[in-house]
Amino acid sequence: MIEAALYLSQRSFVNTLRRRFQRLRQPQYLVGFLIGLGYFYWFFIRPGASRASLVPNPELRWAIAALGVGATVILTWVFGSAESPFAFQLAETDFVFTAPLTRRAVIQFRMLRGQLPILLSAVLSVLIFSHADLATRVLIRLPSLWLLYFTLQLHAASAALVRASLTEQGVTGVRRRLMTLLVLGVALGGLWWGVRAALPDVVAALNVDPGSALLVLERVLRHGVLGAVTWPFFAVTGPLVASSAREFLLRIPLALGVAAVFYVWVVRSTLAFEEAAVEHANKVARRNESMRRGRSEAPRARPGGTAPIFRLSPHGVPAAAFVWKNVTGALREFRVRTVFLILVVVVAIGIVLGQPGAKGPDLVALLAIALSGVALLFGPLNLRYDLRRDLELLDILKALPLGGAAVVGAEVLGPVLVISGIAMLGWTTAFVASLASDTMRIGLGDRLALLCGAAIVTPPVVTVLFLVQNTAALLFPAWSAIGPERATGFEATGQRIVTFLGTGIALVVAVLPAGIVGGVAAIVAHTLGAGPIATGLTWAIVGAPVLGVECYVAVRMLGPVLERLEPAGVR
Amino acid sequence: MIEVENLTKQYGELAAVADLSFGVARSEVLGLVGPNGAGKTTTLRSLVGIVRPTRGRIRIGGHDLEREPVAAKRLLAFMPDEPHLFDYLTVEEHLRFIARLYQVSDVDSRIPPLLQELELSDKARALPGELSRGMRQKLVIACGLLHDPQVLLFDEPLTGLDPAGIRRMKQTIVERARAGAAVLLSSHLLHLVEEICTRVLIMQHGRMVAIGTLREILASRPDLAGKSLEDVFLALTASPPAPGDGGSGG
Repeated sequence: MIEAALYLSQRSFVNTLRRRFQRLRQPQYLVGFLIGLGYFYWFFIRPGASRASLVPNPELRWAIAALGVGATVILTWVFGSAESPFAFQLAETDFVFTAPLTRRAVIQFRMLRGQLPILLSAVLSVLIFSHADLATRVLIRLPSLWLLYFTLQLHAASAALVRASLTEQGVTGVRRRLMTLLVLGVALGGLWWGVRAALPDVVAALNVDPGSALLVLERVLRHGVLGAVTWPFFAVTGPLVASSAREFLLRIPLALGVAAVFYVWVVRSTLAFEEAAVEHANKVARRNESMRRGRSEAPRARPGGTAPIFRLSPHGVPAAAFVWKNVTGALREFRVRTVFLILVVVVAIGIVLGQPGAKGPDLVALLAIALSGVALLFGPLNLRYDLRRDLELLDILKALPLGGAAVVGAEVLGPVLVISGIAMLGWTTAFVASLASDTMRIGLGDRLALLCGAAIVTPPVVTVLFLVQNTAALLFPAWSAIGPERATGFEATGQRIVTFLGTGIALVVAVLPAGIVGGVAAIVAHTLGAGPIATGLTWAIVGAPVLGVECYVAVRMLGPVLERLEPAGVR
Repeated sequence: MIEVENLTKQYGELAAVADLSFGVARSEVLGLVGPNGAGKTTTLRSLVGIVRPTRGRIRIGGHDLEREPVAAKRLLAFMPDEPHLFDYLTVEEHLRFIARLYQVSDVDSRIPPLLQELELSDKARALPGELSRGMRQKLVIACGLLHDPQVLLFDEPLTGLDPAGIRRMKQTIVERARAGAAVLLSSHLLHLVEEICTRVLIMQHGRMVAIGTLREILASRPDLAGKSLEDVFLALTASPPAPGDGGSGG
């Protein structure tokens, strides 16, 4: 069985690699590969690229890593799925489930299959984040990060098994999972009690100095009840933050111990696994029926859906149908869970940026600005109701009586309207809240000018952000996540970081011409005596149309790319 | 309505379709048959603009597909063998989306009878994920028929349909042809082809092996006299492939 899993992993890896290299015969992939290689070398590998650690204190670094893992664990329980803890591929489901293997062997098969992507992700993460020399990276960071990802993967699988058991079996599931639920309950109780006890000290320190607050936080996390609850998080992150080989060797047994506990937990949960596997097999069967190529998840049915924001008239510009379709789809994405997650992020940013003792209107303004920031930062990456999703249906797109540029423009415009709308809601709310503030130091006229500037700049900037993502999907469809689902899981971590940074650079390049033209106008305005806000507004007024023209040109250029693209190029 | 001249589609060294020429007139149903990998799907996909021919010319209703793609596609409807749908639009919203793209002004009056005809009335507000495969196939057909296309291209149109759906589908194809549409139908179901097609085009390794009515094909091969389409098909496609030939999809 182990040999079969290793053989499958090895051959899949080799064949995937070979196919990727074969794709380099196409000029755009070769150019993209060379640019990517240069970018990766310049920022992460060349000797001068090593950066100083953002957190020099090793204990504090450990506490932050443990907090990060803790947050991941909580998010897994709150937002994790009860479905398919083991993401078998279609072929694996068909061959491995029906093979003469015990359930234990099937679990081990899946675990083994999952290690190669995790290892590759660990390599990327180490290259990106490590600030130590190469030997330390390889000897300490790589196995540490692989072990951490593996433990988190096991934990996610365990959490999903518990969820599946509770969802499918109700009271019986509760009885079967009593011990797990008891442990969870004790941990949650301890966390609540510990946070309540420690919070006054942390807040007091925060009022004096944020730096000292972190040290206080680190201390309370390691001691008392809170220390007992957070101990596993420190245990699994210990090797990763070790600053020497000796420290690494001292800490690795504990991390291995935690991983072993989860391993036993998962392997023993065979009955729940069987149910989850059947559920997954059903899901796969639905997906297999609906999509021959089986790349995307089966659509999640929500009876009746949400009514579209407006009724689509059969008259008018045909391409507007795509705008309507994507706005409708994007708004349906905003389920309670998504809104809750956005609110958590917004409030967290508000707390971090907020002044202690801020009054109501100031707090509202701050949270509203945070909402706009979150929308601009995460919206274009996550709201994929555009070509990134629809290229999977390239057959449909190409059979429609529309030119390529019309399809590209309309596809992108839908989510642009949604994200621009949310950002503008934030800016406007902040402005209105500022009217009620008695501590605001910026004059009303200047605030109005800022609002106008934001209103002028937001739509073209959001358009550029979406266009960058869609351009990547159109030019490099085989390297992009096409379809409704983004690549998720620890195995995609490194790839996501690289994509995020690459997108940032592409954005800077795209915005540069508008920035220069607007900047020249702003300098002229400043020379003529304009104040800082008026200068900024001039920049926005002149720069935004340049951005708009850039977007128009980009859409016109991408139209023929879509027309030339064939389904074989997307697969 | 459909004119194909020297259609060739190359994938590297592989010729999925080679020098294919044929035409489909109004009210005609042309059956496209061939073994797996013969190039049937590639031919259909070329006709609808999904893949670009390496060489050759395609005209739909007199419009050159390369030079006037929008005008040509406005006359077309393509029903693929797998129902690809937008997973976040309901059944009715799919039809409204198509209506806007094809400028179907009387969509409000067209939707209810169409949904009733295809037994989808009670699923009008359902998302594709809530539909069975057969229902999704019916929705694709409804989307295809909504704008009264003059050229209909079907790739295995009966896949996933129940017996009643199969009978209705066959009726629909015949009725649309009688109303003046040109129909090109690709299928492995030779009895279906024999039943509803006025002519047959047999392909192998990307090339045309025979075209015409069954009687015309039999007339050109006296050794097959009195045989069924199945026997003719097996006899004509029995030869081994030539190097570099062969379709990619079917």
